Amino acid sequence: MEQRTVVVAMSGGVDSSLAAALLVEQGHRVIGITMKTFCYSETAAPTKTCCGLDGIMDARRVADTLGIPHYVFDMEEAFTADVIDDFVAEYAAGRTPNPCVRCNSNTKIPDLLRRARKFGADTIATGHYARVIDGRLARGLDASKDQSYFLWGVPRELLKHIVFPVGELTKPEVRERARRLALATADKPESQEICFVPTGDYTEFLAKRLGAEHPSLQPGRMVTPAGAVVGEHGGYARYTVGQRRGLGGGYREPLYVLEVRPNSNEVVVGTEHDLYRGEVRIGGLNWLDTPPSVGDELLVQLRYRAPAVACTVRGFEDDSVSLELATPQRAVTPGQSGVLYRGELVVGGGRIL
Amino acid sequence: MEAVYLDHAATTPVRPAVLDAMRTVLTEQFGNPSSVHRWGREARTLLETARERVAQAVGADRREIVFTSGGTEADNLAVLGRARAVRATGGRDVVAVSAVEHKAVLGAAEAVADEGGLVILLSTDEQGRVDLASLEQALQERPAVVSVQWANNETGVLQPIESIAGLCRAAGVPLHSDAVQAMGRVPVRVDQVPVDLVAISGHKLGAPKGIGALYVRSGVELVPLTHGGGQERGLRPGTENIAAIVGLGVAVEEAMAARDREYNRLAGLRDELQAALVADIPGLSVNSGEADRLPNILNISLADVEQDALMVSLDLEGIAVSSGSACQSGAVEPSHVLVAMGRAHEGAAALRISLGWTTTGEEIARVKAALPGIVQRVREFA
Repeated sequence: MEQRTVVVAMSGGVDSSLAAALLVEQGHRVIGITMKTFCYSETAAPTKTCCGLDGIMDARRVADTLGIPHYVFDMEEAFTADVIDDFVAEYAAGRTPNPCVRCNSNTKIPDLLRRARKFGADTIATGHYARVIDGRLARGLDASKDQSYFLWGVPRELLKHIVFPVGELTKPEVRERARRLALATADKPESQEICFVPTGDYTEFLAKRLGAEHPSLQPGRMVTPAGAVVGEHGGYARYTVGQRRGLGGGYREPLYVLEVRPNSNEVVVGTEHDLYRGEVRIGGLNWLDTPPSVGDELLVQLRYRAPAVACTVRGFEDDSVSLELATPQRAVTPGQSGVLYRGELVVGGGRIL
Repeated sequence: MEAVYLDHAATTPVRPAVLDAMRTVLTEQFGNPSSVHRWGREARTLLETARERVAQAVGADRREIVFTSGGTEADNLAVLGRARAVRATGGRDVVAVSAVEHKAVLGAAEAVADEGGLVILLSTDEQGRVDLASLEQALQERPAVVSVQWANNETGVLQPIESIAGLCRAAGVPLHSDAVQAMGRVPVRVDQVPVDLVAISGHKLGAPKGIGALYVRSGVELVPLTHGGGQERGLRPGTENIAAIVGLGVAVEEAMAARDREYNRLAGLRDELQAALVADIPGLSVNSGEADRLPNILNISLADVEQDALMVSLDLEGIAVSSGSACQSGAVEPSHVLVAMGRAHEGAAALRISLGWTTTGEEIARVKAALPGIVQRVREFA
């Protein structure tokens, strides 16, 4: 890669820290940016994830170690509109959102790139485990850490302006190199939670945003697919497909959430066997490579860290694609991402309908 | 690429004479002024000489100067110290502060409110000058103290301090003025203007950070913020920071000696820069440009410019200026001063360019040459 001016989105975690370090090693002019995406005082435990105030301070320390300038951008307004509002609306609609996908698709990559161009940078880098090969998005080399699943929504024309420096490395290699460079974040634990819900209790967050009186948080009936009432639920927004419901009265097998029905305020439960689906429809599509045709065989990944499974394209309708799965999949969850692959390359993706 | 430092209202380099004086204190004249021996007496002399210098500069008596850790502490001692003093005698702990005060004053006023007191915010006109009618109304509440800055730290606008002081004096209400920016730039004289409390800061004058002073007119009662030995007439206990105090004395004296010459030099450079930028950058407006200002501050608003991107561009060009104010995270927040003036416009950026004793014509020329192009590029990628 020729020498470029690269803006690195530094969250204060080890991956983006090393991404910045690698770009410096490669001789680029590197500028670190930490995006302030939500108000820290609103969250009870801001230190738990890498996006908190401590994350900003850690990113700054790493930037100082690397001798690169570092700035904090207040992107709270855009993040709230693009990510948090969508997150809340999806749960209110009975679906299970991927906020990180929304953030990458709107805030972290396009909005940051737009700002970077204003000060003469035309490339942005993040700490994702993914690769861009000949203008196409590909899985990161470390299969256990691959994050291409979260990147399907990035506008295709931006791929040539993005680099993922740690995509060629494994996580242990990233830590090892960060340690060798004495980066302050080398041994920082990974964040598991959604950055704006550091406590991990998203229903508490929903109650704050929607109000405790919102219909999605009111008790309702828990029913079987045949319509038999088997109990009560405490608000459908608290449930996600595949979640285990424990032993219901008279049921030998454990019950799982099969479906969330916001209109009738019902949560449908059934046996584990009922969770398997042989087809899936994905909407709100974004293509990162040549779109497939009906009858094409591809791979589809329906959950982060789930293996991709073979599928056949059965048809297109409006902005959605129907896929037949070679083997039925457990807990196909509306709102989660469905990402299509050809081998290691991401073809495109959308939201599971 | 030569770096350009035009953020002297944030802080300014220590003057060589200040450093020399401080080095001698730190290494040779290291005594504690409370000690009875020779070293102590020497330190006491240094302390009182510096106090005399500061007192003379503002037209006060030596005994009316209290050294503090800086402007913030001086403002807190004045505002909070007055509110507590009035509360202690059973009076109403009301304080009236202008909406464009420095955070040091606004924060102290918030603390008064937290302690159960009442805060009245004085409004300003579009130039950022305190509205005298709103002051007159506030004075009817008989506040423990009124606090209005001598000059604003963001726009440089000079407050109508004589009129404000006259109204307060007539109402029998003590007036505090934060003169951190004004000191050394324009006359700050307590023998000419009837103010009762005045805060100054060392590091805006060429002394180090961590030293400031509060002028307390004889007879004005304050409750101290900290407690301990009886130093500084009990208002600021703790062993005196002699080296920094000596530095402040030297800095004040140097700034006073050069004040009128520097006023003309900096106002000339500032006006030259302002005229060039107004001519070369469309959509630029000067904040407080219609009012009397400090000679060294130029505050501009730029329509359709993203603040973050502008600040980064300037920093990458080696040009150090300032925007509104940075929050704890370092993210740029809209300036409360421009908000109060009704001049914080959606989608506009604000820049404070502030000159100081090291500023040269070459630095001004660099900004004149660079800024129009930077603004154009930031606007291009909308």
